Amino acid sequence: MSEPQQIKVVDAFDLDDELRSLLKPGEMVRDAQGRRKRLPRYFYEIPTHDAAIQIRLTPHFGINEFILVDLKEAQRLQQFPRYIPCAVRLLAFFLEQFRTVAGASIHIAVNGGYRSPAHKMSINATEHMWGTAADIYRIGPNILKTQELIAKFNDVAEELSDDVTVMKYGHDTGISVDDHVHIDLGYVTVVPREISEDRMEVPQENRPRFAFEERRRRERRAPQIAVTANNKSE
Amino acid sequence: MVAKAQVLEEEKLPVAPAKDSVAASEVSLYRNVLKIKNEHTLENLGIAFYDAQTTIQWAYNGDQYFHAASTMKLAVLLGVFRQVERGELSLEAAVHIRNRFTSIVNQQPFMLDLGRDADPDVYGHLGRTLTIRELAYWMITKSSNLATNLLVEVVGVPTIQHALDELEIDGVRILRGVEDQAAFEAGLNNEVTANGLLKMLRLIADGRAYSKVASDEMLNIMLEQQYRSGIPAGLPKAARVAHKTGNISTVHHDAGIVFVEDRKPYVLVILTQFPAESARGTAVADVSRDIYNTIAGMTYE
Ligand SMILES: [Zn+2]
Repeated sequence: MSEPQQIKVVDAFDLDDELRSLLKPGEMVRDAQGRRKRLPRYFYEIPTHDAAIQIRLTPHFGINEFILVDLKEAQRLQQFPRYIPCAVRLLAFFLEQFRTVAGASIHIAVNGGYRSPAHKMSINATEHMWGTAADIYRIGPNILKTQELIAKFNDVAEELSDDVTVMKYGHDTGISVDDHVHIDLGYVTVVPREISEDRMEVPQENRPRFAFEERRRRERRAPQIAVTANNKSE
Repeated sequence: MVAKAQVLEEEKLPVAPAKDSVAASEVSLYRNVLKIKNEHTLENLGIAFYDAQTTIQWAYNGDQYFHAASTMKLAVLLGVFRQVERGELSLEAAVHIRNRFTSIVNQQPFMLDLGRDADPDVYGHLGRTLTIRELAYWMITKSSNLATNLLVEVVGVPTIQHALDELEIDGVRILRGVEDQAAFEAGLNNEVTANGLLKMLRLIADGRAYSKVASDEMLNIMLEQQYRSGIPAGLPKAARVAHKTGNISTVHHDAGIVFVEDRKPYVLVILTQFPAESARGTAVADVSRDIYNTIAGMTYE
């Protein structure tokens, strides 16, 4: 019997100095074209490794898949509790659709989900720093190592919505070597419903505030008995 | 008995002074090495050894540079442990396994031809992670090119060269990872001398490569070497060798620390280069056997 999932939402201004200096909430960064972007401020807090595995954003995407990093990420940000911008749930929604249309499981690569501003690959602003981009190296049994495969799945992803952007084959390098599909939603920030923005961009009275965003709303709204009955009949 | 055979050999030498067995051994060794070089029609041969038991050091063509082939992986190992020792890298840190690298020429991206990398241990983790420790292990024991390039990317070529410089290891030049075809075509290759590799291995054998702990870790990885057709093939079965081979089309190297019962280890580097048309022979093993016989002879005199 599953309880409605709750994910703790934090205002990164309330985090300790080290975390704030790494996550840089609300700070400006420039993208490769020199355009200024304001970094996200509201994050999901993932308390433990177990929680990371248990928290589902969609039926097929757990939050753990978006936080796989290697030593390129700041040491502190590899430790639990981990943080990821709340916009990641929008990305998960589109990836779930992508999965359906592609007809195969989608594997987000290590370093291919959220990358903090302190991540070594975060040289310019990229959507990865907003939690709204995913690099995919494998779709079902296919390792994306040919131009044909990458182009094919790029097309599939782009057809999903005008909000979905993909990168052309060889986008990282400008020439003919590539090994993944990059899909993103642009620089989307999410202010969770439960958050109140009634304050200046500094911690107030040193008192951290947070909220719980409740997920799986339909299940929560349904009468308890009905839920139980449904579960049994399945 | 090996020792006896050596003595007989020396007696046949016209120039060997009867009472100076070290000098006699050297003359004998030199003659045998030339013989091996001719028999195997080697274009080049470089040898260096240091015996901790007798403190004898000997080299043939010790300062000549050779294409490093996979012996460069020893320098990468050193660079990794430098960073670990300084607290800048953890052996347990996760590294994303990815087959895409950047050439040192024009920063062109390239991929390894993994058909040639006998290496499911690393390639099998594509898209996932292995730890620095695991990568170091596969880089040395199975000469994984993928692991090597990933580690070169993690620590950086300047750090590797810096490690060599600060430990005063002359004769090892590291410019790049492996299979960088554009660099190869531009003549930019990693190069080693027998004396250079000898210095590096002596530091590791003596526990002076950054620290005793770091040296022992490196030594233990090298002891697990799985390619044994070089130095070990010229030794008695009981000998243990911490080593690294290096093979490309026209070179066949081996560099290692040899542990034989009841004596201190000796360090041996054998670099061979042969013409493109001739197949790789047993020159390295033959030199190794010769050196072993010589050293065993000196020990038991
Ligand atoms: Zn990307």
